[in-house]
Amino acid sequence: MGKIKTSCGEQILKTTLFLIFAALIFMGRLPCAFASQQLSGADEALGIKLAKQAVRADKHWTTTDHSKMEILKQNFTSGDQITQACLSCHTDASMQFEKTIHWTWEVPSEKEGVMNGKAGHAINNFCISGNAMEDKGCLSCHVGWNGTEGEVNCLACHGKEKFNYKEAFEDLKAFEGDDDPDTLEIVKEVQAEVKNAVHQITMPQRENCGECHFKGGGGDGVKHGDLDTSLANPNKMLDVHMAAEGADFTCTRCHTTVKHNIAGRLYTRPAAAERTSLIEDDMATKITCESCHSNLPHKTASKMNDHTDKVACQSCHIPEFARVNPTKMWWDWTKAGDLKEGKPYVTKGEFGKPTYKSIKGEFRWEKNVQPEYFWYNGSFANTGIKDKIDPSAIVEVSHPLGDKNDPDARIHPFKIHRGKQPYDKINKQMVAPLLSGPKGFWTTFDMNDAITRGNTTLKVPYSGEFDYVETTYAFPITHMVAPGENALNCNECHIRKNSRLASITGIYLPGRDRSNFIDSLGIIAVLAALAGVLLHGLGRFFTRNGKEE
Amino acid sequence: MFKKLFIAGILVMFTLGSLSAAFASEGPSGNKRKGKYTYRKVVKACFERGAVDSATPKVSPADKKQAEWKAIFEDKNFSEFGCDQEWAGSSDKDLLDIYSYFYNFAADSPTPATCK
Repeated sequence: MGKIKTSCGEQILKTTLFLIFAALIFMGRLPCAFASQQLSGADEALGIKLAKQAVRADKHWTTTDHSKMEILKQNFTSGDQITQACLSCHTDASMQFEKTIHWTWEVPSEKEGVMNGKAGHAINNFCISGNAMEDKGCLSCHVGWNGTEGEVNCLACHGKEKFNYKEAFEDLKAFEGDDDPDTLEIVKEVQAEVKNAVHQITMPQRENCGECHFKGGGGDGVKHGDLDTSLANPNKMLDVHMAAEGADFTCTRCHTTVKHNIAGRLYTRPAAAERTSLIEDDMATKITCESCHSNLPHKTASKMNDHTDKVACQSCHIPEFARVNPTKMWWDWTKAGDLKEGKPYVTKGEFGKPTYKSIKGEFRWEKNVQPEYFWYNGSFANTGIKDKIDPSAIVEVSHPLGDKNDPDARIHPFKIHRGKQPYDKINKQMVAPLLSGPKGFWTTFDMNDAITRGNTTLKVPYSGEFDYVETTYAFPITHMVAPGENALNCNECHIRKNSRLASITGIYLPGRDRSNFIDSLGIIAVLAALAGVLLHGLGRFFTRNGKEE
Repeated sequence: MFKKLFIAGILVMFTLGSLSAAFASEGPSGNKRKGKYTYRKVVKACFERGAVDSATPKVSPADKKQAEWKAIFEDKNFSEFGCDQEWAGSSDKDLLDIYSYFYNFAADSPTPATCK
């Protein structure tokens, strides 16, 4: 009998403890479980409905067949001739374009006497500077037929067919005066190819923008991490917006354009300060996720909707970048200049990418990279060639602005490109070595001379003494949006150890952070509840006075 | 005396110049520019026949060094191009032009072919 009484008491105690723990676990998991349920539910979220409405009318068509235009049937002998033909109808196009940053590569800075942009005083930790467009190596991406000279190359953005006009025109010129029948046949063929390419006019496609923006920094995926040639024809797993089986967006769907000014630059206008919906204005000057998906992108009552005022959509929906092609994460200029038998060389490593180049130094590439997270209000703090630096610390050449108290700031994912690059030891400023051309570092391997020449192009004094300093350059991650089912789980951030948001300090993040005071209170409350149950059970047990049930 | 020395100097310079030119033009003497288009024509014809997947040439001069191209064109072994019929139908002049194109834009040439 005594045995029965004891096991009955134990059973009550075990059941009570089990119920308490089950309740605690259930309550702790509730928000996440609810969020997941919302994701997999049958009803469509408001943010998805709005996004579909915003892009429903995105159907382009043309009323012009360019192959029928007489002026485009001529035998072109130069790029400038092609542009003049374009301008005979599109009279103001060049005038508009030449005022944009795509042509000038400059934009005024808030700092007096400082211009941002590749041709300005801005630098990066890749090839460092465009040297006021004196570095001819950079000009292959300038939208002109011949660098900064002559006409705008309209076909760089509006040509459907990737065609090497420069080669064709060089060859046509070389064949001039050659009466050989074979040569005449070749000339006829080349002219026909040029005409055919000129007739293929289009709104800018991904390949047009990607020709430069996928290859920024001198190669595929070097710079951005979320922009490389894999986005020319991505599948839905890589980018739900750009995939053909997804929304099939071209770049200009989000990077809206007014008078050839293309929205999306980072030097000016914080992205988050203007939250115009595409339904209100489908030419809104800067498109964010919220422009289509609203600030309630998830289903009603979803816990995830409570995040949108502090967490950028990209933070959860782009779990990793460089998911197909690798991206460059480290560039060490201190190693540049090593030669083998007096000649520059290249060493290739993992991914078949160069890990060393005599002309550039040492590199590190990575794939499937987890972003780093910072508060970001849409603007950046840049360290330009005229700014003073502290060489004893890592110099943030470009870093996102914003903090927890900034209403426009969100926690946003970034690629941080790290490296070592030269600076002026005496003036304590970054420097802009000239790299390409016969007098550039890539030919002379003389860094001091290259800095002297490069700084001269920007009219910035150089002391004649340099050293190297470690730097960082931040790129916001905003492309390569994964399907919803691949978005981050709650416990990627709301977890005690290895939280993705470990670097976001000064806020209380449930699951990640703890307060000893509150924890102590909780433990006391749990122990008190257990003691109460135990006492109650014992009281009941001993007050039965030996009565059988 | 001075006149003789001047003439002798000119002659020496001329001789050295000629020798340099002879060494510099060690490669094939065809028309490399024409060779590029003739090569494209070969591949295009091959594509139209259905023997290759693309009309755009897949083999580039920068894929090999000058000595390797020399061996291939001297042996007339075009197996890696995969268009035997078209190569067999090409005239010696066409082959010389194509060889000049490959030789002059080889990986170890002063101007290796890029994505042309």
